[in-house]
Parts: sequence; structure tokens; C-alpha cells
Amino acid sequence: MALNEDAILKSELRWAMVVGGIVAVILIAILYAALAMHINPPSNREYVDPKTLHLSAEFTEANLGTRIDPNGQIVARIIATQFEFVPNCIVLPAQRPVTMRVTSPDVIHGILVTGTNVNTMVIPGYVAQVHTTFTKTGDLLMPCHEFCGLGHSQMMATVRVVPPEAFHPGPDGRIACGQRH
Amino acid sequence: MRKARMAESSYPVGAHDYASGAEELERLAAALDEVPRGALVVSGIAVGLLMIGWLGMYFLVFLPRGPVG
Repeated sequence: MALNEDAILKSELRWAMVVGGIVAVILIAILYAALAMHINPPSNREYVDPKTLHLSAEFTEANLGTRIDPNGQIVARIIATQFEFVPNCIVLPAQRPVTMRVTSPDVIHGILVTGTNVNTMVIPGYVAQVHTTFTKTGDLLMPCHEFCGLGHSQMMATVRVVPPEAFHPGPDGRIACGQRH
Repeated sequence: MRKARMAESSYPVGAHDYASGAEELERLAAALDEVPRGALVVSGIAVGLLMIGWLGMYFLVFLPRGPVG
């Protein structure tokens, strides 16, 4: 490689093409994940009054946990509060589309389910909603991943992913950990 | 002691050690000829390793974890 301006310019152009190729590969990979694999950041925007969650139609204590809604959708409703999740354990089936709806009455929390792509912030005043399909069964840890106070490190719940044939909600469409049918 | 080591070494220690200005320029050109090639090799290895890591996480961790939205 001779040391002259042309050679330097050529090497810079070649390197720019390599970098352009890398950027193109990454963009294609992201588009493939979004369009073909349906992996997107949760982007639900829905408001709820954090002061009256316990009086709301959806997030009353009796309505929390996993339920098959009248439209056949499997929905887990969870409240994230300092420093626990209510309920502390939820049951969901593998290989079936499920929805998790989470909100907070106090401060900002966050959830992630280990070993999955489920990961979202839980902000008071909003309902965080995540659609997913679990691919593996087992007890998955769901810790709070946004520092929410002194008890933050103790704030965690369990997502019990059961095989589809073992997912038997009761007559009211509800299922909870420890429940036998 | 330091001076003695420098004198024994065949490596040029300063411009004043060169026999002439022309030889100095020649050596400088030879060294600079290697610089772009070395920079490309180092940056190629660094960026290549980064891409291998990124693609590994993408195909082995991110995609198998399933859909979310």
C-alpha cells in the first residue's frame, strides 16, 4: 500500500463500505425480528388513575392474576407496588399467546421475566401491556428491575409457565399458583 | 549505562543518528507504509469480534426467546 493521498482515500472508502455493510446487516436483522418474528418493544399507551386502582373495574384485588377473558385471550393482571407484586405468582401456558397487564399505584417499577424477551417499565398512571408466547416451561423469576426504594431487591414474583395441556382454568376462567383442578 | 545500551542497539534512537536526511525520509516512508495496513488489521479484528458477539446474541439468545410486543 503506497503512502499517497489516493491510497489513503481508497482505504477509507473501503472501510466506510464495510461499516455501511455492517449497519445494513444490523438494520435488516432488526426489521426481520420486528416483522417476521414479531419481537417489538411493548408500546401500549393506556391511562389509569393510580389513586383508585383498588376501585377500578380491572385492577381490583379479585380481578388480579391469570384469567381467560370472554374473547378467549389469556390475560395476567398484576399490580407492582412497593415492594411486592400482587399476585406473587402467576400461571401462564407455554406455546400460546398471552398478555400481561401491569400497573403501579405508587412509584415507577419495571418487570422482566428471566429467559424471555418480556421487559417493560411500569409507570403509575399507565397500564404496561406485554404480549408474548412463552417457549419454555418452568418457574421463571420476575424481578422488579427499576430501583423503587429500600425494599427493591426483595421485590420479585414467579411466572409459572406450564405445558398447554396442563393449563386448566376453573369454571370462572381463572387459574392461580397452587390451584388444583 | 543507558548510553551504552543505546549505542549497542541497531534500532535508531533519534534523527541525529541517521547518516543522511534522505535515509531518514526513506525509513520514515517505509514505516508509514505499514501503518494503514496495521490499522486496518487491528480495526478489522476489533469490529469483527464485535459483530460476532452481536450476531451470537441475536441468533442464540434474542430470537429463541420468542415474540414480544
